[in-house]
Amino acid sequence: MKRVLIVDDEDDIREVASLSLEATSDWVILTASSGREGLVTAAAERPDAILMDVMMPGMDGPTTFKQLQLNPLTARIPVVLLTAKVQGVDQRRFAGLGVAAVLFKPFDPLTLAAQISEALGWELS
Amino acid sequence: MTLASILVITFVLCLGLFVLGATLVWHRKELRRLRAELLIASEAQRTQDSLLSQRSELDNIKDEFISTVSHELRTPLTSIRGALGLLSAGLMGTVDSKAQNLLRIALTNTDRLIRLINDILDLERMESGRAPLHVRRCSLRDLTKQAMETMKPMADTAGVHLEFSLGVAPEGVFFDGDPDRILQIITNLLSNSIKFSPPESTVTLRLEADSNSVQLRVSDQGRGIPIEKLDAIFDRFQQVEASDARQKGGTGLGLAICRTIVQQHNGSIWAESNPAEHRGPGASLIVSLPRMSRLLDQLDDKGIVQPRGGDGTLILCDDDPGIRTIIGEHLRHHGYTILEASDGMSAIALAETHEVSAILLDLYMPGLTGWETLQRLKHSAATAKIPVVILSVLSPSSTPREERQAASAAQGWVQKPFNENLLLAELSRVLHAGEGPAHVLLVEDDIDLASVVIAGFKDAQITIDHASTREIAMERCLLSAPDLVILDLTLPDGDGFSLVDWLRQQPTLRALPLVVYSGREVSEFEMKQLQLGPTQFLTKAKVQPEEVEELVLNIVQRLRRPVPKGIHLAQSERVAV
Repeated sequence: MKRVLIVDDEDDIREVASLSLEATSDWVILTASSGREGLVTAAAERPDAILMDVMMPGMDGPTTFKQLQLNPLTARIPVVLLTAKVQGVDQRRFAGLGVAAVLFKPFDPLTLAAQISEALGWELS
Repeated sequence: MTLASILVITFVLCLGLFVLGATLVWHRKELRRLRAELLIASEAQRTQDSLLSQRSELDNIKDEFISTVSHELRTPLTSIRGALGLLSAGLMGTVDSKAQNLLRIALTNTDRLIRLINDILDLERMESGRAPLHVRRCSLRDLTKQAMETMKPMADTAGVHLEFSLGVAPEGVFFDGDPDRILQIITNLLSNSIKFSPPESTVTLRLEADSNSVQLRVSDQGRGIPIEKLDAIFDRFQQVEASDARQKGGTGLGLAICRTIVQQHNGSIWAESNPAEHRGPGASLIVSLPRMSRLLDQLDDKGIVQPRGGDGTLILCDDDPGIRTIIGEHLRHHGYTILEASDGMSAIALAETHEVSAILLDLYMPGLTGWETLQRLKHSAATAKIPVVILSVLSPSSTPREERQAASAAQGWVQKPFNENLLLAELSRVLHAGEGPAHVLLVEDDIDLASVVIAGFKDAQITIDHASTREIAMERCLLSAPDLVILDLTLPDGDGFSLVDWLRQQPTLRALPLVVYSGREVSEFEMKQLQLGPTQFLTKAKVQPEEVEELVLNIVQRLRRPVPKGIHLAQSERVAV
């Protein structure tokens, strides 16, 4: 069974994303409300993937991603960025980071799990 | 020597010295004047440079602002959309049908709001020239019907009847435009009229046309528009009553968006009060669009010349109407204008009366066969120079010998059944087969990398031109159409995607061979977006500049190679990177 960590500073989005993934997959969902908390949880829990917001106060998504890469415990965990920035210029910046995928907000709750699975090459049960 | 002669010599010498002195003084003055002029000119240049950099700075600030605002709007919408989606799908337990209906309404409208935000961002991008139109031949009737279907639920809810009337033959409503944008206009106009219509009234959509333009008139029986507001309603956030936006649920942007789109199409939009004899007070909104797209006109303001030569009009000659429809649709989608001919005689007649870039010719047709048509075309001075591409189930090698001889007059050959890319590649090859050294345009903002690539071509028989920004690239393309473009995706003033969009709209450039040489991997989806003529993708990290050179020379060579006696099969290639 896959374990996915959601990192987003917006409580409501964390909640909705968790419910969406739980309702449409058999994944176990973990959450963190900041980049820093995400780093700690990722190192402690070693999830199979991380779904992470881009714009967060303090440590933003790209910075958190780089920190994850620096820690051997978390460097191999694939990260999917979730962003409300859909301008071409932003997309290119994120794509250049080396994350597994960039998905856009607002997401469709019914297909979010499928989109993540597709990006990571997982079979969605 | 007499005193007199000494005096004369002295006088002449003095005169000479004086003239020399005067000339020197004059030269010095002239030099000073030129220096001053130079100073003024360089000062002007500096001012212009600084204005340009100020403008680009402003553009950046604007982009950043739009990006931030869109982010702030999308964040709460993400929660709402997600929550409603889960509830509405019944994943959190079932609700009764009334609640289900409310959820559906909430969900539909959230989606509409999301679309609206995207539209507003689009509007910004349209006005800044960063979102070019995707122009193709469309039917105003089909688009109107589609918009009416979309808006029917809204009309039903408001108790408003929608009526359609056609003041012209159905085949008379075709025009060149961006169907998505035109649909956006009609939907906006309809939504506007429905909002201001009392229950049980009627909104009428009427289509009219003349030889140069098509017109849509949307008339309602609402309260009408005061004469002093007839123009103002197209401004942003301007409504007849200040409270309208709040009461009617509009954004105050709908008509402004319509106007921008119409202007991009070189059309016009205006409002009229209905004549007194009309069934109610009410108003009409009228959109008039030119049949032929003249998007290049917009560039004239910037002093850029229009490309010369053929305008991408093709004659498609095949007796099978099904094949004409399929191929015609593909090619129109790629921006070509298609004239259809069902037999050889009509193809010849079209070629004699129209400026066309090429003729696509089926071989086996009743009446005049393709062979005979080809021969007649090549024997008439008016049509001899038009390139012909043969479309046939035969391959050139399976063609009978005597006919193979006849086929050598054709410039290209595509074997049926074919895929779209093969056809496009062959067309591109035929349309761009020029003479002399091939001309390559390198669009790359990294000057060092550009120098390396250019240096690689120094021994090759090509001329290479370098553009470091999107704007310069557009200018270069219009001044002299290149034979091939090498494109970096990241440019200081826009991205490669928007440049490709723009190229696709230029009749003489839409089929150009393209090599995308980008800093990152391009996804399958992006590859589709970047497809121009035959398009190949190279990634900088994986492909060295010398390999780019090899590939480019390869393509260019193919462009320049004469077709050996009509025996040339279109080939599709994709370089593995």
